Amino acid sequence: MILDYFVILMTSLAFYTILVLALNLAVGFTGLINLGHMVFFGIGAYTSAILTTHGIPWYFAFILAGLLASVLGTLIAAITVRLKGEYFAMVTLGLVFIATAISRNWISLTRGALGIPGVPDIIRDNFYYMIFSWAVAGLCILFLYKLTNSETGKVLQAIRDDETAAAILGKNTYFYKVLSIAISTFFAGIAGSLFAHHINFVDPSVFDLEFFIFVISMLIAGGLASLKGSIVGVFGLSIVSEAMRYIVVSPSLIGAVRDIVYVVILIIILIYKPKGIFGKVDV
Amino acid sequence: MPSLSILPQLIVNGLIAGSIYALAASGFSLAYYVIRFLHFAQGAAIAIAAYALFTLSNQVGLNGILSILLTISIAVAATLLMNYAVYTPLRKRKATGVILLISSLAILTFTASLIRALFGPSTKTLLLSKHNKSFDFGLFTITSIQLAIIISAVLLFLLLWILMRKTRLGKAMRALSDNKEVAQVVGINPEKIYTYTFIIAGIFAGISGILIGLEQNLYPRMSVIIIVKGFISSVVGGINSVPGAIIGGLFIGLVENLGIWFLPSGYKDAISFSILLLFLLLRPRGILGRGMRDDT
Amino acid sequence: MMLSVKNISKNFGGIKAVDGCSFEVKENTITSLIGPNGAGKTTLFNVISGLTAPDSGTIKLLNKKINNLPPYKIAQAGISRTFQLTKVFKNMSIKDNLLIANNTGEDKMKKLLESVYLQKPLNTTASELSYGQQRLLELARALLKPHSLLMLDEPTAGVNPRIRQELKSILKRLRKDGKTILLIEHDMDFVMDISDFVVVLNEGKVLKIGKPKDIAKDKRVLEAYLGK
Repeated sequence: MILDYFVILMTSLAFYTILVLALNLAVGFTGLINLGHMVFFGIGAYTSAILTTHGIPWYFAFILAGLLASVLGTLIAAITVRLKGEYFAMVTLGLVFIATAISRNWISLTRGALGIPGVPDIIRDNFYYMIFSWAVAGLCILFLYKLTNSETGKVLQAIRDDETAAAILGKNTYFYKVLSIAISTFFAGIAGSLFAHHINFVDPSVFDLEFFIFVISMLIAGGLASLKGSIVGVFGLSIVSEAMRYIVVSPSLIGAVRDIVYVVILIIILIYKPKGIFGKVDV
Repeated sequence: MPSLSILPQLIVNGLIAGSIYALAASGFSLAYYVIRFLHFAQGAAIAIAAYALFTLSNQVGLNGILSILLTISIAVAATLLMNYAVYTPLRKRKATGVILLISSLAILTFTASLIRALFGPSTKTLLLSKHNKSFDFGLFTITSIQLAIIISAVLLFLLLWILMRKTRLGKAMRALSDNKEVAQVVGINPEKIYTYTFIIAGIFAGISGILIGLEQNLYPRMSVIIIVKGFISSVVGGINSVPGAIIGGLFIGLVENLGIWFLPSGYKDAISFSILLLFLLLRPRGILGRGMRDDT
Repeated sequence: MMLSVKNISKNFGGIKAVDGCSFEVKENTITSLIGPNGAGKTTLFNVISGLTAPDSGTIKLLNKKINNLPPYKIAQAGISRTFQLTKVFKNMSIKDNLLIANNTGEDKMKKLLESVYLQKPLNTTASELSYGQQRLLELARALLKPHSLLMLDEPTAGVNPRIRQELKSILKRLRKDGKTILLIEHDMDFVMDISDFVVVLNEGKVLKIGKPKDIAKDKRVLEAYLGK
């Protein structure tokens, strides 16, 4: 029983880790404030859910979830990354609302507000699914570790600090920014697929602002441009979240109180410790 | 295609929806114009106003006028609290506009969750709305609340115009908006003007919350739903132009409702969001706006 | 000819920031752009490096047209520059700042830092440096980036006297090394001392081009500076 609880929790930490690391690549390492990150998570989740409930094998759906999210992410980035910071944030926030509207209204594909139940397990045994999820998360961590320490990774960080300076040093900043979003959205899609097969259900609430606030709180608490920070942020805030189950007496209140607590933590960090726990970048 | 006879009603519906969006957009747009950040928490203040009116009139049983006045005060207090507790410390440490935006979104979800915790997830109806009367003009019908909404939007438009063009406060706001450093040099205290801005935004939130609460039902996530439309209206109308928000609201309301002519009503949101994206990408300054800032 | 600027004009909302400027920079020379504030020097720099698109005119680097290219391609074509307000990658180490310019070994980086009098460990974060040290880092970065023309925008502005002296001696050494440099500088004695050619700008137009000694006694130049 306790082991089961631990296994399920650890599985969710795996896809949160991927999701937050992917967001960190865009926001922390490249300085692209992508407020539409959950759109790509949702695309991954829906892709996996729709394909596997129509009998497509999971591994195909899993890869396609990442690829489709990345293709859309690349297209959107190609038209939007030239926008200045605040306008880029606005456009990507607009995407969230569009994704919500589509997921609610394209009923023949998404079943609208009802959501898609019965998304099959990838691996029946919860323990092995946890291992699988962490193997994927491990690959993601390894890839991002290599990337952010490579010359390409340094260029992304240079663009974050001063795009003009990066350009006059001969770097095609447009290409690098699109590349960053392409990779970031790929991992967001992969995380979405793991999520869909974990809870066996997807509905438009994946696009809710509350969910995004939770994810960006983990990122900011851990610290921008720090992979270690993101992992610590995911574990830290998830522990807080789990603790709520025992502190809050009424089960109907847990969700609401949890969202309130994340916001309070986020705002305290933004005001008093904007670099987060391990962050290297001022926000 | 529906019959032509419903066209007048669609236009009236568009004006009503547009006026609601304009109400939501007015305070949001004013805050952006003066302080240069996206004050999404204006939606939170609107929802707080609606639920305050629910508590005061439905639960406490105060009379209409008194509960309306108290509601507006509560909306102002809530807005000032957001400013002092969150925005002021962030501005002090020179946080970027994007960080203020994220914190504003956080306040928005905070309020939705708080309302859910305090009032439950079910929808609520204001008892005051039972005084609502319906007028039939043959071609279309409209209720007294809907009329009040349209009239309020027009009045707000005029008030904002007078405020920005004719008053000392408006001049100070324009100076700050134009160039904060220069404004400070000529003796304008930004924090003081920001406080006035939030008081005005709070009053707008109070009025919007009351009218929207009377017209629609109350539900915890209304804060998010309303301000998203306010945001779209501001961008489409011109985020650098305060009266533009009103024009943008009416435009979005009309397009959404006339769009039903061609598309199922579920796609209302998709229509307005697509318009938002088109504007952000092709004409970011909006219908009325002048050039945009590029130093964010 | 290293750089040739022909009939470049740039308007900002009706104000002619640069108005039909033409001049050339010969190889292995130091050419200085001088002129009162608002003469259009920095705008001209931004136009040459591609950050601002000119309204008309052509710019050639080593006889290849470079106007209308994006900034990164102009940089790759061989222009290296610094800014009036220093632009370093503030959250990154000195080493990573240099690595963006050119991926060379640590030894070469250390030697370079020594030559610009920046005695700081390579892993120091740029934001921890003083403003003057950031200028030195920016200069080192511009030198490290492969280039044929070096453009320096007021390298000695806003730094303390010691660093100013160091910057001057670096420039003198670069001159001795035969570098081709386009320089914006306010310190007239220094300009006259170090430059091979001087281009005087006033209100967006080229007022006079010549050797330092001819410029120093030109009446119109004095008027532009002192006002009538």
